Amino acid sequence: MNILETKNLYKIYDETSVPVHAVNGIDLVIKKGEFTAIVGPSGSGKTTLLNMIGGLDKPTKGEIIVNGVKIHDLSRRKMTDFRLKNIGFVFQAYNLIPVLTARENVEFIMHLQGRSKKERDERTENLLKAVGLGDRIEARPSKLSGGQQQRVAVSRAIASKPKFVLADEPTANLDSKSTENLLDMMEKLNKEEEITFIFSTHDQRVVKKARRVITVDDGKIVSDETRKTE
Amino acid sequence: MWNNIKLAWRNLWRNKRRTLITTASIVFSVLFASFMRAVQEGSYDSMIDNMVKFYSGYLQVQDTAYWDEKTLENTIAYDSTLAGKISNMKDVRLVTPRLESFALSAYEENSKPVFVMGIDPEKEDGIIKLSEKVKKGSFISSNDKGALIAEGLSKFLKIGAGDTLVMISQGYHGVSAAGKFAVRGIFKHPNPEFNNNMVYLSLKTAQDFYSAYGRYTSEVIMVNDHYEVDHVKRAIQEILPPDKTVMTWDEMYPELLSMIEGDRAGGIIMLWILYLVIGFGIFGTVMMMVNERKREFGVINAVGMRKSRINVMLFAEIVMLGMLGAVLGLVLTAPIIGYFYANPMPMPAEMAEAMEAYGVEPYMFVSIRPMIYINQALTIFILSSVIAGIMMITVARLDMVKALRG
Repeated sequence: MNILETKNLYKIYDETSVPVHAVNGIDLVIKKGEFTAIVGPSGSGKTTLLNMIGGLDKPTKGEIIVNGVKIHDLSRRKMTDFRLKNIGFVFQAYNLIPVLTARENVEFIMHLQGRSKKERDERTENLLKAVGLGDRIEARPSKLSGGQQQRVAVSRAIASKPKFVLADEPTANLDSKSTENLLDMMEKLNKEEEITFIFSTHDQRVVKKARRVITVDDGKIVSDETRKTE
Repeated sequence: MWNNIKLAWRNLWRNKRRTLITTASIVFSVLFASFMRAVQEGSYDSMIDNMVKFYSGYLQVQDTAYWDEKTLENTIAYDSTLAGKISNMKDVRLVTPRLESFALSAYEENSKPVFVMGIDPEKEDGIIKLSEKVKKGSFISSNDKGALIAEGLSKFLKIGAGDTLVMISQGYHGVSAAGKFAVRGIFKHPNPEFNNNMVYLSLKTAQDFYSAYGRYTSEVIMVNDHYEVDHVKRAIQEILPPDKTVMTWDEMYPELLSMIEGDRAGGIIMLWILYLVIGFGIFGTVMMMVNERKREFGVINAVGMRKSRINVMLFAEIVMLGMLGAVLGLVLTAPIIGYFYANPMPMPAEMAEAMEAYGVEPYMFVSIRPMIYINQALTIFILSSVIAGIMMITVARLDMVKALRG
């Protein structure tokens, strides 16, 4: 089942002066349950691609279809609502809300979705336990290590039960041990709960874990490799 | 909504020192503005109170033509039913009739034009405390045929208590008015002009002198304070016959009102400048607050919080900051104003002397009218809302992709 599809996708900056083709005609299909890494050198267009498929940026040309919905046509407001229901985000710098506890950060999304308190409480607790933070539920981000913050960020991303999670350089600020723990945890969520993960990364540790690796350069897909894992 | 408020409150305290400094500046401005306005309004109240007590009363019922042409031909006949209805009105403290006109006074070799006021001595004493101002001799009574004359006039005429004052004038319907009046007492009028030419007679004596039997120039009405004047005026207007009118103190003496309004405007401009300075202070703080959090706004919008909701949160945060300062400012103001309301500040000696000479109590009074204080909180609310509005536009225009990059 296709979760995400892009057709002839372009993003061109500074169209009036010297045009920069950040994304240059990408056709891509992501299926449910994939654990995909988009790799490429700096300036290759992977973050722009991620922003567009996450509905944060609009393409200059082409189509983005998420779960059957053409998101490139949506208004900003509808796009925000669409992201809330369908897309989870994990950022390089964790980007948790500093004044909220781990529990409140995870609950935040469900709150926006209008879920009941009971459901929020249960899911938050389960998610934080699942990522190994059952004992840090009431801690604020400033009291958590980078790895712990990123695990809260992953919990926040999947709390809304999204169709897929976009993770932009999620391990860039983590040490080896934290990276390993985080990747193991995401892999587990991917396998056990069939959550689709799409990474944009430079990190070879992420690339090694990925079952599909798409390499982007000059705004184009230069290779798309699917691996078999155990 | 509750979560937005909770989040806004926590965001407010991200940088405690900055929030405290901003709050302190708002507290100071509210305290200063409240105190300044309280003193200003207190002095106006005192000024109006003194003026109406010494002369005009808060309201007067007159013949419709009297104010433009103050002659005895434009007097009104006594109407006991009307007087009774006005006396029974809510907030009306006193209704007393007067007959006012002019005469030429004389004693031995000296003569001087004077202002004659026929009064009900007992009732008028309740307003102007005239008996307390008698320096020599005694106060007059309702049936007294004698006169009470001002100190300046007595000096000019070289007349004293017990002497006889002669007055001539033109009476009602043009009859000649002439009379001799035993001077019962000499009083000091707080107004220097009146102190040089004022003669009080009992109402009956004045009516006899002017052959204006049973007639008055006005019914003077006292209310508790000048804030009650408008509704009492409306109530009186409803029951007045077409040949009578009711005038308020500010209609009779618009120059006093103009002076007060001019002074008030000056004070308010000062406050605007103060609030403008405070406004820029809040604006600076809030701008820093928003700039520091652009990435965060990008993140929460990315994860699904609409910009409109981000703006609600931001609005709550900024208004909360303003209102925190305003409420604390008012809490601090309350005991200070309470103290000075109970213990008015005495004026410096020289100024006190001058004020006393005008019959004004030599104290700086403060007003405790709630609107003075509510207005300060309202100003801060509006100021914060305007600043919040500007910041909300900034957030609405925020490019989320750029914001996410930081």
